[in-house]
Amino acid sequence: MARAGGITNAVNVGIAVQADWENREFISHVSLNVRRLFDFLVQFESTTKNKLSSLNEKLDTLERRLEMLEVQVSNATSNPALFTST
Amino acid sequence: METMTAAASMKFPREPANYDEISMQQSMLFSDSLKDLKNLRKQLYSAAEYFELSYTNDDQKHVVVNTLKDYAIKALVNTVDHLGSVTFKVNDLLDENIAEVSGTELRVSCLEQRLRTCHEYINREGLSQQSLVINTPNYHKRYILPVGETMNGGLRTKSKYEGCSVDKGDEWHQFRSAIRATIHEAPPSIASKGLSSSPTPRLVQQPGNFAFSKSMPKKDLERRTVSPHRFPLLRSGSLTRKPTTPKSSRPTTPNQSRPTTPNPSSGRQPFISDPRKSASMRIRVGKESPKEFEQFPSKSKRLLKALLSRRKSKKDDTLYTYLDEY
Repeated sequence: MARAGGITNAVNVGIAVQADWENREFISHVSLNVRRLFDFLVQFESTTKNKLSSLNEKLDTLERRLEMLEVQVSNATSNPALFTST
Repeated sequence: METMTAAASMKFPREPANYDEISMQQSMLFSDSLKDLKNLRKQLYSAAEYFELSYTNDDQKHVVVNTLKDYAIKALVNTVDHLGSVTFKVNDLLDENIAEVSGTELRVSCLEQRLRTCHEYINREGLSQQSLVINTPNYHKRYILPVGETMNGGLRTKSKYEGCSVDKGDEWHQFRSAIRATIHEAPPSIASKGLSSSPTPRLVQQPGNFAFSKSMPKKDLERRTVSPHRFPLLRSGSLTRKPTTPKSSRPTTPNQSRPTTPNPSSGRQPFISDPRKSASMRIRVGKESPKEFEQFPSKSKRLLKALLSRRKSKKDDTLYTYLDEY
C-alpha cells in the first residue's frame, strides 16, 4: 500500500511538474508576444515621429514659400505699372 | 470578460454617401479604437483581480487557470488587433497628409515657376524697350569723288571713283568753308570765261576757266556765297531725281533740282548709284563693307588738304573743275 501510495504521489508530482512547465511555456509565449507587441509599438512610434517631423518640415518650408509668394504677389499688385506696357 | 468582448466587437458602418461622410466615419472609428485601447488597460487590471480572487476562493483552480489562459490569449489578440488598426489608420492619415503636402508643394512650385517666368518676361520687355530708346549711330553725309580724273585733266573714261565721307561735323564745316572761301577769293579773270553745261572736259583743258561769277554781279556773288544753296552737295536723297547719265544731267550752276536738306527716308539706299554725284547719308553701319568706311576719313583729309593748298595758289583749275561738278 505504501509503495503504491508513493508511486501515486510521484505520478501526481510529475503531473504537477508537467502542468507547471506547460504554464511556464504559456507565460513565456505570452510574454514573448507582448514584447513583440512592445517592439512593434516602439518601432511604430519612431516611424510615426519621423513621418511627423518630415511632414512638419515640409509644412514649414511650404509656409515660408507661400509667405514669399504672398509678398511677391502683394508687391506686384501694389505696383500695377510693372504690367502696363508703355 | 463581458466588457472585453463588448469592446472588441466591431461596429459595422452603414453605406457612406459621399467623401465627407466616409472621412467622418473613419475618424469616428479611429477615435473608438483609441478609446478601446485606453480602456483595455483597466479591463486587464480588473480581469487580473477577478482571476486572483477566483483562484484563491474557488476550489476548482484548474478551471480558473484554464479560463485565465483563454482570457489572456483573447486579450492579447484583441490588443494586437486594436494596435494594428490604430497604427494602420495613423499611417494612412500621415500618408494622406504627406501626399497633400507634396501636392501643395507642387502647386507652389508651379506658382513660383509662373512668377519667375513673369519676371523674366517683364525683364525682357523692359530690356527691349530700353534698347529701342538707345539712339543708333547716325553717319553723316558721304560724298563720292572722282579721283585722278579731274586732277589730271584726262577724259572721264575711268570708272574708278573713291568715296569720301565727312564723318565729323568739324570736317564738314571746314570743307564747306574751304569751298566757299576758295570761290569767294577767286579772281574774276579766272571766272570770266563762262560756264558750260558739260564743263568737265573743257575746264580741264582750259585751266582757270571757271565762269561762276561771269553772268552775275559781285553783289549777287557775295550774296550767293553766303547762301548755303550756292554749292548744294549731292546726297542720296536726290539720286532718284537725277538721270543716270552724268554728263547730261550735271548742271553748271547749282539749282534747286538738287536738294540740300538731308532726306531721312533715303538713308538706307545703296552706296553708289551714280558715282560722280552720289552722296548718301547712312544711318546704320552693319550692312556696309567696312573697307569703304575706313577709306572715307583719309580721303576727306586728303581732299581738305588739297582744297586748302589749291586755295593758296588760286590758279589751279582742278579745284574749279572739281567744284564744277557740284
